[in-house]
Amino acid sequence: MKWFARSPRNRYRHRLAGSDLFGKLSDRDLRTVEGFLHYRSYLAGEVVFDAGEIGQALYIVLTGKVAICLPGKIDRPLAELGEKEFFGELGMLDDIARTAQVRALLPSEIAVLYRDDFEKLMQAHGVIASQIALELARHLGRRLRQMLLQQGRAAEQ
Amino acid sequence: MIFAHPTYRPGPVVWAANIAATCVVLFAFQRILWLVIPFVLALLIYYALLPLKLRLVLRGRSHDTAAAWVSVIAFSLMGALLLIGLPSVVGEAVSWQESAARYLDGGLHLLSNLLKQLEGRFSLFAKAHVSRALSQEVARFSAHFAEKYLPAIAMGIASWSPSLLLGPFIAFFMLRDGWRFRRFLIRAVPNAYFERCLNLMSQVDRTARLYFVGLMKLTLLDTCCLAGGLWLIGVSAPLLLGVLTAVLAWIPYIGSILGCLLVILVAATDFPSDPSVVYAALGLFIVVRLLDDFIFMPMTVGKSLNMHPLLTVLMIFVGGAVAGVPGLMLVLPVLGIIMVLGETIGQLLTDRRLRARHKHAQALQHRLVMRDLELP
Repeated sequence: MKWFARSPRNRYRHRLAGSDLFGKLSDRDLRTVEGFLHYRSYLAGEVVFDAGEIGQALYIVLTGKVAICLPGKIDRPLAELGEKEFFGELGMLDDIARTAQVRALLPSEIAVLYRDDFEKLMQAHGVIASQIALELARHLGRRLRQMLLQQGRAAEQ
Repeated sequence: MIFAHPTYRPGPVVWAANIAATCVVLFAFQRILWLVIPFVLALLIYYALLPLKLRLVLRGRSHDTAAAWVSVIAFSLMGALLLIGLPSVVGEAVSWQESAARYLDGGLHLLSNLLKQLEGRFSLFAKAHVSRALSQEVARFSAHFAEKYLPAIAMGIASWSPSLLLGPFIAFFMLRDGWRFRRFLIRAVPNAYFERCLNLMSQVDRTARLYFVGLMKLTLLDTCCLAGGLWLIGVSAPLLLGVLTAVLAWIPYIGSILGCLLVILVAATDFPSDPSVVYAALGLFIVVRLLDDFIFMPMTVGKSLNMHPLLTVLMIFVGGAVAGVPGLMLVLPVLGIIMVLGETIGQLLTDRRLRARHKHAQALQHRLVMRDLELP
């Protein structure tokens, strides 16, 4: 069964270990999580997902760079994410449509955590899942603070 | 501008295609039944052992080690049970034959008594000599049973045994390599369709898992109710009867009738002079079937398929007509899985945005590989 046995997992383990989402997991926990990840390659300019699409997965940039933008406004991205950063977490957490489009700016390797797999982790290995959930909550909190700050500045101006 | 992805609802074309595809699959299954039965057995074993394997994986074991551990423990237990049970089964085969003959006689005695009572009450039955005709038919059947049917039954058992042994073998490889195969398939999917395909695989897996786990739960519930009821009535071997009738109920309609006949035979033999026990056993069986159809089935198997009851019943008839008894057994899980597949394929084919994204990715790929081929 070796012909479909090897995935590029080991190649990316150190990148996952340094990522915002999995950075605090032990090596053993990381190996467990790796079993639930999918790996995809995107060309520069390729759409990862569209705004309006119902998504159920979270994406972690392993190599390359992606831009979060409104459709057709790739020249004015809302944010650019590089290695070790993640996006699409709202889609994984809830059945809501994606709010923006994500495109690869450079050739990118991306790890994907699908909702069902995250739920399996939650059911069977609460410790790992709670660590990931805590990081997700912190990330969402940081983003909320940034938004509030931006709104405050805009109101002052 | 945000591209709208409207909620997809399969139309009549997709539904017709689903039903036609189910019939084709069942017809094909009938041709390779020797492989389908062990595969279904393997699926049952796989879904029973998968939670244990997942627990080991989440405790830090590799997929291979976890599958090996779970398989070795489960199959050793099965082997040990077989080794312990087989000698006693072989030893008691003669007494089983006697018991079978005794129960058959008991059933025939009950039937003969019923017919005699009917002949006493209705002149139509008396004129037709139904009771005597039945006795003659049974005598003829019993006289030629061994020479006519036993070789075919023995050959059937001999030819099916090796293929049934395939079940645990397939289950082991499903446990060990199932996740790799899933990834292998997913890797082949273009980026544009990737999330939809993950969703599709997850739904197919969920449908099959809920169906087979539901079937096991349903069997357990049926066994408990029947065994408990038969024990209260006082029929012998209630647990064995409960298990047999619950397993027979896997075959829609025919299985239930066979199970009912079995219970009546045993009750009639155990209490030949007390027909009330037979009626009680019959009543119990009907109550359990009603519980099964209206409470247990929707709670267990029905949930997994999310199908209209009328369609379910119609498809059971279609399955039986296309592929006989295996068709009756397999039509619902096959239709459930094909419905998910049909819905997703319909969704992919009608979503122009996804197709456009795929074409865009292909154009990018083309541009990349052509980059240094074009002359200045």
